[in-house]
Amino acid sequence: MDLMPSSDQEAIQSSVRSFLENELPMSRVRELAQAGPDALAPLWRAAGELGFFGLGIPEGDGGSGYAITEEMVLFEELGRALAPGPWLGSVLAAHALAEHGGDRAELARVLAGEQRVALIDGTSAAGSLVARGGDVTGEAFYAPDAHGASAFLVLAPRAALLVPASSAVTVEPRPSLDPTRRIARVRFDGARGALLAEDAAVVRGLLRTATVLSCAEAVGGIQRTVEMSVEYGKVRKQFDRPIGSFQAVKHRCADMAVRAEVARSSTTYAVVSVRDGAPDQDFQVSVAKILCAGAYVQNAADNVQNHGGMGFTWECDAHLFVKRARSFDVVLGSRVEQLDRLAAGFRAA
Amino acid sequence: MDITFTPEEERFRARAREWIEANKPADPPAENDIRARCQFDLAWQRRMYDAGWAGISWPREYGGRGASLMEQLIWYEEFARAGAHEPSTLFVGLNHGGPTLIACGNEAQKSFHLPRILRGETVWCQGFSEPGAGSDLGGLSTRAVIDGDDLVVSGQKIWTSFAQIAEWQELLVRTDPEAPKHKGITWVICPMDAPGIEIRPIRTMAGHQDFCEVFYDEVRIPRANVVGQINDGWRVAMSTLGFERGTAFLSEQVRLTRMVDELIELARHTPLGGAAPGDPAGARRALDDADVARRLALLRAEVEALRSMTYRSVSRTARTGVPSSEASLIRLFFSELQQRVHGLAMEILGPQVLDWDVEEASTAAGARKRIRETWVFRWLLSFASTIAAGSKDIQRNIIGERVLGLPR
Repeated sequence: MDLMPSSDQEAIQSSVRSFLENELPMSRVRELAQAGPDALAPLWRAAGELGFFGLGIPEGDGGSGYAITEEMVLFEELGRALAPGPWLGSVLAAHALAEHGGDRAELARVLAGEQRVALIDGTSAAGSLVARGGDVTGEAFYAPDAHGASAFLVLAPRAALLVPASSAVTVEPRPSLDPTRRIARVRFDGARGALLAEDAAVVRGLLRTATVLSCAEAVGGIQRTVEMSVEYGKVRKQFDRPIGSFQAVKHRCADMAVRAEVARSSTTYAVVSVRDGAPDQDFQVSVAKILCAGAYVQNAADNVQNHGGMGFTWECDAHLFVKRARSFDVVLGSRVEQLDRLAAGFRAA
Repeated sequence: MDITFTPEEERFRARAREWIEANKPADPPAENDIRARCQFDLAWQRRMYDAGWAGISWPREYGGRGASLMEQLIWYEEFARAGAHEPSTLFVGLNHGGPTLIACGNEAQKSFHLPRILRGETVWCQGFSEPGAGSDLGGLSTRAVIDGDDLVVSGQKIWTSFAQIAEWQELLVRTDPEAPKHKGITWVICPMDAPGIEIRPIRTMAGHQDFCEVFYDEVRIPRANVVGQINDGWRVAMSTLGFERGTAFLSEQVRLTRMVDELIELARHTPLGGAAPGDPAGARRALDDADVARRLALLRAEVEALRSMTYRSVSRTARTGVPSSEASLIRLFFSELQQRVHGLAMEILGPQVLDWDVEEASTAAGARKRIRETWVFRWLLSFASTIAAGSKDIQRNIIGERVLGLPR
């Protein structure tokens, strides 16, 4: 039993972090929030060259041969940087293609960062998707990072498909609460795609992976809110003292640190459970989502409070985490939906 | 990263489980019969010692099991999972006094005291807090004057659990009132039968009398009982508190998981609103209510997180060899979670919690078997969990300053 990062994981973390600090400082994240979707193309190719999309893909399929535990490290760093773009869809697409006999050339393009694949969760209530054979019809209302995607990993209740952008797919970008994770309304009119699996268990497995990696992304953001508050608490002075010396602020930061540890521990445990195919993996993923969503929403709010009047401005980054926390909660099974799943488990017992 | 245990560790788990299941004592005495509880705990400790399970974390050279960190974790998990009786009257000897002697005591002190603690022959208590020194422990003022071969102690201690039955006490006294406050303290082993000691039990809000005030009127303690050096007691005491924040709380964390499972069962069998007995059949149960069910689900998730946090902390300690400062994060989370669990129990039980007899709850052994009496009693006890062993406010200071590096 060991839940601390390995030396490989530490190496991945430091290389991803330094890449993101150079390529995606918060000033660039804010530019991308205003820019058209094609602005992401160079970033995607650079990430592809560094092997970001293939960490959990076998070496024989063009990946690095690690596992979801290393992908967790990547997503934590992406979440810490509030990196915009369909990272989750692209990594999931690589998995779906590699594990379900997808086209090898297509897989190579995803791994190289030449395809930006948005994840379309067609199992949620926010839409009405029907997949028949290789055709998809219906709508997804709040699809994150879908604008400008070159393909869509569509997860219908019983089928997983990779659908390329075409005239049969209409993407309508929507004004979005979360500037770093914009949403679009996506309509499929009998759009043709590559059918990767017709199996509800496969779809559930992909959703499980997606959910737990989104938790890892949240862990990075949650950790960042703690760091921002602590940094500010050390330098901002009132009454001739750093505000972090006041217990009202210090204790709020302590609670933020506890929530961060709760989120990180439960996510790490869930990720390893998924990697091992543990019998309780679905339960562990629900636990992680419940605790990460609660921690993110509250930590982001506390971070605004700790920054005072500055925290309420557009200029201060604190609000970006408030909005990301909200967009994290509502996708892939909200906190309340996950609580109901857990409750259904022991109510039935 | 790995959440499984080695085959060797799994064999250890199987042995521990089998032994605990076959040997755990049934029917502990009533809460208020402290002498009977003490005898019960000592007998249980002796049984563990005879089978080689006592002092799971103590080094082998002092008669302990010398178990690895993972084995300690497994032992505490199995102990709690089996619902084995916690020998709480022996906590100070096993988790404070003994480990402090191991870390800082001399050979004579170790060879006399350690075997007695481990074999279940003696009870220790703690003399740290004072009326004027709680969270600010370093401000303690109980004086000790060196007179020949003795320390002569005068003053008062408080919140001393089991002083009325203890044979020995780990006692902090001020030996140099001129020095800076942390530099004039001495850690000494006090025999509780020494002339000049007066003990007055204090009744808690739960109605029981585990802890006491202890008064010292020119009590003579041999200088040979000083552990470490005169005026070096703060350092000695800190080595003790490090143990307390290490693995000693593992089993109560696992017990909390069991309690949430019991709470779910309580909600399954209690009418919504906690109506009185004699409800019509088919009434809605608390568990049928979406709000109650979601709050139970959140608690279920939180105790699961408590376990993964503990696993992470143990993993970190296994790598570094020292208890991690992050343990204070777990301690704070645990203590508040314990209160949330018991708070929800009170809401589920509803008005029937009002029908609670303080005398019966803590004195009659039969009452302890009644679910309602037990939940109310444990709810009252849970108020102590954010006060004892460093209040939640002090824990937040520790996290803010030592973990996050915020200014004092």
